[in-house]
Amino acid sequence: MRINWKVLFNILGLLLVFNGGFMLLCLPVSLFYEHSAWGAVLSAAGVSFLVGGATWLLTRRQENKELRSKDGYLVVTLGWLLMSFFGSLPYVFSGAIPTYPDAFFEAISGYTTTGATILTDIEALPKDILFWRSLTQWIGGMGIIVLAVAILPILGIGGMQLFVAEAPGVTPDKLKPRIRDTAKRLWIIYIGLTLLETVLLMFGGMDLYDAINHGLTTMATGGFSPKNASIAFYDSAYLQYVMIIFMFLAGTSFSLTYFAYKGAFDKVWQNEEFRYYLFSVLIIILITTIGIYLVSDVGLEQSFRDAAFQVVSVISTTGYITADYTSWAPLLTVIFFLLMFIGGSAGSTAGGVKIVRHVVLLKNSILEMKRQVHPSAIIPVRMNGKAVTQDITFNVLAFFIIYITIFATGSMLMASIGVDFMTAIGAVATSLGNIGPGLGTVGPVDNFAGIPDAGKWLLSFLMLLGRLELFTVLILLTPYFWNRNV
Amino acid sequence: MRIIIAGAGDVGKHLAKLLAYENQDIVVIDLNQERLRQLGSQLDVSTIRGNSTSFRVLRDANVADADLLIAVTESEEVNLATAMIAKQLGARRTVARISNEEYLMSKETLDLRKIGIDELISPESLAAREIRRLLRIAAVTDTFEFDQGLLSLIGITVDANSPLMNHSLAETSTRFNPKNNFVTVAILRDGNTIIPRGDTQLRPNDHVYFIAQPDGIDWVLELTGKKKIEIKNIMILGGSKAAYHTARKLSSNYNVKVIERDRDKCFELADQLPKSLIINGDGRDVDILEEEGLGNMDAFLALTGDSETNIISCLVAKDKGVKKTIALVENIDYIHLSQNIGVDTMINKKLIAANFIFRYIRKGDVVSITGIHGVEAEILEYEVNNNCRIAHKQLKELDFPKDAIIGGVVRHGKGEIAMGNFRFEPQDRVVVLSKKESLSEVEKFFK
Repeated sequence: MRINWKVLFNILGLLLVFNGGFMLLCLPVSLFYEHSAWGAVLSAAGVSFLVGGATWLLTRRQENKELRSKDGYLVVTLGWLLMSFFGSLPYVFSGAIPTYPDAFFEAISGYTTTGATILTDIEALPKDILFWRSLTQWIGGMGIIVLAVAILPILGIGGMQLFVAEAPGVTPDKLKPRIRDTAKRLWIIYIGLTLLETVLLMFGGMDLYDAINHGLTTMATGGFSPKNASIAFYDSAYLQYVMIIFMFLAGTSFSLTYFAYKGAFDKVWQNEEFRYYLFSVLIIILITTIGIYLVSDVGLEQSFRDAAFQVVSVISTTGYITADYTSWAPLLTVIFFLLMFIGGSAGSTAGGVKIVRHVVLLKNSILEMKRQVHPSAIIPVRMNGKAVTQDITFNVLAFFIIYITIFATGSMLMASIGVDFMTAIGAVATSLGNIGPGLGTVGPVDNFAGIPDAGKWLLSFLMLLGRLELFTVLILLTPYFWNRNV
Repeated sequence: MRIIIAGAGDVGKHLAKLLAYENQDIVVIDLNQERLRQLGSQLDVSTIRGNSTSFRVLRDANVADADLLIAVTESEEVNLATAMIAKQLGARRTVARISNEEYLMSKETLDLRKIGIDELISPESLAAREIRRLLRIAAVTDTFEFDQGLLSLIGITVDANSPLMNHSLAETSTRFNPKNNFVTVAILRDGNTIIPRGDTQLRPNDHVYFIAQPDGIDWVLELTGKKKIEIKNIMILGGSKAAYHTARKLSSNYNVKVIERDRDKCFELADQLPKSLIINGDGRDVDILEEEGLGNMDAFLALTGDSETNIISCLVAKDKGVKKTIALVENIDYIHLSQNIGVDTMINKKLIAANFIFRYIRKGDVVSITGIHGVEAEILEYEVNNNCRIAHKQLKELDFPKDAIIGGVVRHGKGEIAMGNFRFEPQDRVVVLSKKESLSEVEKFFK
């Protein structure tokens, strides 16, 4: 198969120029705060512009502008990698993060909206570098919206076609001319919710800088906070409730949020994934609340708030922290570990396996019993009242099996480089699910600084894998992609 | 009335036949010269060869003066287009045959009258309705409703040990029919149609037709030894459009299994019919049917596109103990075979569609006719007016022809069974069953 490298590099060049443009957004912060690293930001932007611009200009003239859908795998994977590489430059140039594995880890953790950090003293960093850190997550979130709306459905990855029909204005057969419109609409929702949250946080007494940072990282389900103690820093019920709501929204399909914005609440309610999302969140919050109330000496409201915050934070793959979920009770630690495998809704900025896949898997498993009784019956899984085709079901099954296999392999690799069991499985699960905090020494109140360099590279790769729904990256590692004759 | 029929397929042909008997002015349009020639030689209709969507052809058919245009070609698109164009050119009413059920279901959102189509006919959907009706009173082999069920005609093979057996009808009527809610109107014995009189006796294997009030149906079933068959489990053979419509109508009240050979079709059906169980397999393979519990089925509906398969599989089902079998047949000539060979009912969707259109045309008019398969008699519905011979008279005073019988009367929205001292009033709608030879005589009573 021949890859249209020229067009591919043209797109990548353009992405880098955009990335450089975003870096310039940090300059107002640099000017405002004394503690800044404007030189580093400016030179990183300069390098991005230079490399990106040159690539873009050199590849501007193309005889064949056609980009086949198969090239999409390469564009997306390379795009995320390149962005992360250039995004790490401000950390490197400013000396804020001294070693390169750490800088790259922090950058890719940003672009994949994971939120795992190697920083021990976050607040010691220059303000504009911290702002850039939050911004990488927000850019990652924007990228994911396009990815989820436009690219993954075309590539047919892991059953992502499932929700395509639900995206406003997108029909599977006439996707391309409308991608731009749809992405634009969803971006407006994304930007709007970011602004709204920022304002609401400021009402609660948060200063502008912190409010913007948290706004950026909530809507991306990222979870970077400019505070060492994450959200636990703010001892305000109001701020925490606002964040719970916005984390929940960020984990909801943006198409549905768009429908709700347009007043079509029945469409939201008819969406099966949303109902499962809502009810599973509510039930898990209930169990956790009871658990916290019984084992710790905090009041009922505090128990409920901590439960709600942590459950929504993990299930939406945001990863903010108000309380250490590993400190309550063994059962709750297990529940939170398992929550890392759930993930938010398809079509949101959340990572992980995603609710819709779990629902398909569960329904399919139950229907398998019926199929045993009626061997020749055709019994499809139904989602939103429609039968799910068998290839989508297989796709979802394959996705889940690969996900678990990667989790197992990753955990073994982590353990092989000397990481303890809890830390290994926690770090792998949280990276693959793009959440942030894990278990053990990478638990909610700790960070990833203690992980060996090899482990950081592995986790960086897992974050990318998880973010791009496994197949996008993995397919590049198979001979099928490179050689048509295989 | 001037009627244009576009399409000389089975529906068109049957309609033309029904209407031609009524001395209507009929023009049939079709592309096939041979079909037209055959039709023209059998019936008193004029024919035009051409595409019914063509202006010229429609003008030749004098569409501007047409009271009714019926578009019943095999193509849905042609039918819709023909009806729309004809309406524009001046046809007073238009009827189009369709197969896409979306049109039927979205009647509220899509106002077809606005674009010139007055009525839509879907043979598959009508067949499904007929099947549902037959299953509701499952012991009955034929049903026909007058005025939305105020009176019903039902056909039943009477059991040998029924109390009605071996007594004259007059005798059984006084003993078993105190409420006067049914009347015997025809007997099919050895292929002959008998219009019963008071002294007629029923014999074993008689297939008897009753006209009954709604509450009379159960009573008739009991008397004829047909307990009401409780239908719960239904197996449908074939994934045709008719099967889909039927399954959709039935699946909320019954357990429905659909057997279809084609895997992709199965998936499509499974998508559209969430409440039914779709089985992928060849229905001609009895093992598959038995594995899916053919023996436990209360009803077996063979609705594949192949008449012979349908008939044979119904016989297999009957052999395995299924109480009610219905076969869809394309070939109209097969229909009267049903009782003789053991299939409970055979239905032909085109015949049903033609009858439906016919009744639609007749709606609000004086006469309504229908035929029962296998019975050499017509069912007519007359409206009594002030000047006719029957008005203000009692039934026993009339010298009604021997080969005709008055079944019932619809008066003020209520169905009544006419006994000897029943007095006819204007505006009564009288249901008459008459052999062909007495038709003209019957007509005189209502002129």
